[in-house]
Amino acid sequence: MKAKPRILIVEDERTLCLLYREELEKEGYEVTTVLDAASALEALEKSDFDLIVSDIRLPGANGLDFIRSVMERWKTVPVIINTAYESYKQDFATWAADEYVVKSGSLEELKKKIRALLEKRHVAA
Amino acid sequence: MIQRHQFPLQEYHPDAPREVQLLSFISQVFIQPFSLEDNLLALLTALTSGSGVGFNRAMLFLVEGRSLRGRLWLGPPTPEEARSIWEVLSTPGIGFVEIVDYNRALLERREGGLSHRIDRLNYGLDETRDIIPSLAARRREILHVRGAADEPLVDGAFRDVIGVEEFLCIPLVSREDVMGEIIVDNAFTGAAIQAPDIRLAGLCGLIAGNYIYTSLLLKKMVDMEKLAALGEVGVFLAHQLRNPLTVIGGFTDQLLGDALSERKKKRNLNIIRKEIKRLEEVINKIGRLSRLGGGPVVPLDLRRMIDGLLALPALGIKARGRRIRFECRPDLPEALGHKLDAAEAVRNVLDNALEAAPWGGEVVIRCAGGPDRTVSVSVTDNGPGIPPGIRDRIFAPFMTTKKKGMGLGLVYVKRVMDIAGGRVEIESREGQGTEVRLIFRTGGQD
Repeated sequence: MKAKPRILIVEDERTLCLLYREELEKEGYEVTTVLDAASALEALEKSDFDLIVSDIRLPGANGLDFIRSVMERWKTVPVIINTAYESYKQDFATWAADEYVVKSGSLEELKKKIRALLEKRHVAA
Repeated sequence: MIQRHQFPLQEYHPDAPREVQLLSFISQVFIQPFSLEDNLLALLTALTSGSGVGFNRAMLFLVEGRSLRGRLWLGPPTPEEARSIWEVLSTPGIGFVEIVDYNRALLERREGGLSHRIDRLNYGLDETRDIIPSLAARRREILHVRGAADEPLVDGAFRDVIGVEEFLCIPLVSREDVMGEIIVDNAFTGAAIQAPDIRLAGLCGLIAGNYIYTSLLLKKMVDMEKLAALGEVGVFLAHQLRNPLTVIGGFTDQLLGDALSERKKKRNLNIIRKEIKRLEEVINKIGRLSRLGGGPVVPLDLRRMIDGLLALPALGIKARGRRIRFECRPDLPEALGHKLDAAEAVRNVLDNALEAAPWGGEVVIRCAGGPDRTVSVSVTDNGPGIPPGIRDRIFAPFMTTKKKGMGLGLVYVKRVMDIAGGRVEIESREGQGTEVRLIFRTGGQD
């Protein structure tokens, strides 16, 4: 049996973590959720992930710095920025991310982008 | 002896000098809540109506970019219509509003209306060639043209459109700029344009020019302010609304699409309920800010107000694990403020202090009279202090260091104090704590 793709969610709202976990597990992924940047780095050190979904506004850290450092160290892992702010799109630092999904009442866009990125990664591997 | 008079706005005095009639007419224009366009129409009406200057027709050009463009042309299209209109408009009891309405209807009439005939007339203000009508605007001078057919400066297309030998060009000048030009004539009566007519028309030109200038300036300022405010509100709302909406949307989709257990259904509904409450809080806080400032300030007993706040059960919960010390001078003067707003402001500051103070920490409230007939409430915590990088932005809306904060608390506090004629001072040392002082005016006499 093929191993489930592993996704790391970095999101400071617990209810959203719960929602993302349930919805993405239904899609057949193995989901780990963390509430801040420090725990995210810890999780990344400990195990391998196939994809990261991260908010930008994170407690105790500049989310953009966090995302930049993750992309430097784990170059092959695709990153999706998932935020309530559309305005961050104007920040060059976000351009390096593979996708930018603005939070909305439907998770379809996020799911679609996750699927596409994982497929691309699978073909490349 | 003192006698009281009403403003003579709705009265019509056919026997008054024309200058007085015109001024009365124009002052009516400016008190109407009309748009710029409507007010310009009213000014043209002033130039053409019997109770104004009494020209037969008035044409308006406005400056767009660096050229004069034909915008409105007011007047009856034929002599027959002119006669019947004058009969209607000279009926006693016909007021300003009726005349402007009548003229608006005249303008909106496509068939036979005049305005469409000048739609395409367009004269550059930077042209080197002297040409009428734009010459008047370029020179900022009133030009009286007679014998237009033989006058080489009159533009051929313009001569064909206006079709009369005599007309008057009045530039609409403001302090800074030329805003447009009005051209009037007596196409139907054929009456010669006299010196008093020119004086009155010039007066209209001056008033109209400055009116357009200030209207456009005001509009520009309002637009800029609105835009800036909208930008801030937009970013703030994006965050405050999108997170709850994502949660509500996601858990609703589960309810609709998945076969959930009863327990999970209930859980989802509870989560949705909670997020709706969060959305309501956002609206309440914004609403509270926009409602501020009603009613007069009243003398407030700060000691009783703070005793009241300290007795609130909700505050007791927030204060768990922290000590609150309240020091109040016995001869404390009364503060001037809005009772509930002032109490809410103090509570906001107190909440912040309690959140900042560490477990086992202390918050001190001090009330004392100050110099220059002031009295202050100072709230000090021994928390981490405000990071230096954001100290100059702490009163900016939507600026927050709290995880669930909206960044409106201190905005509210500052508004409350501003409106009451007081002020807010904040002193903070990193690692040592923060002191917030609300300084009220006192109700005492000199």
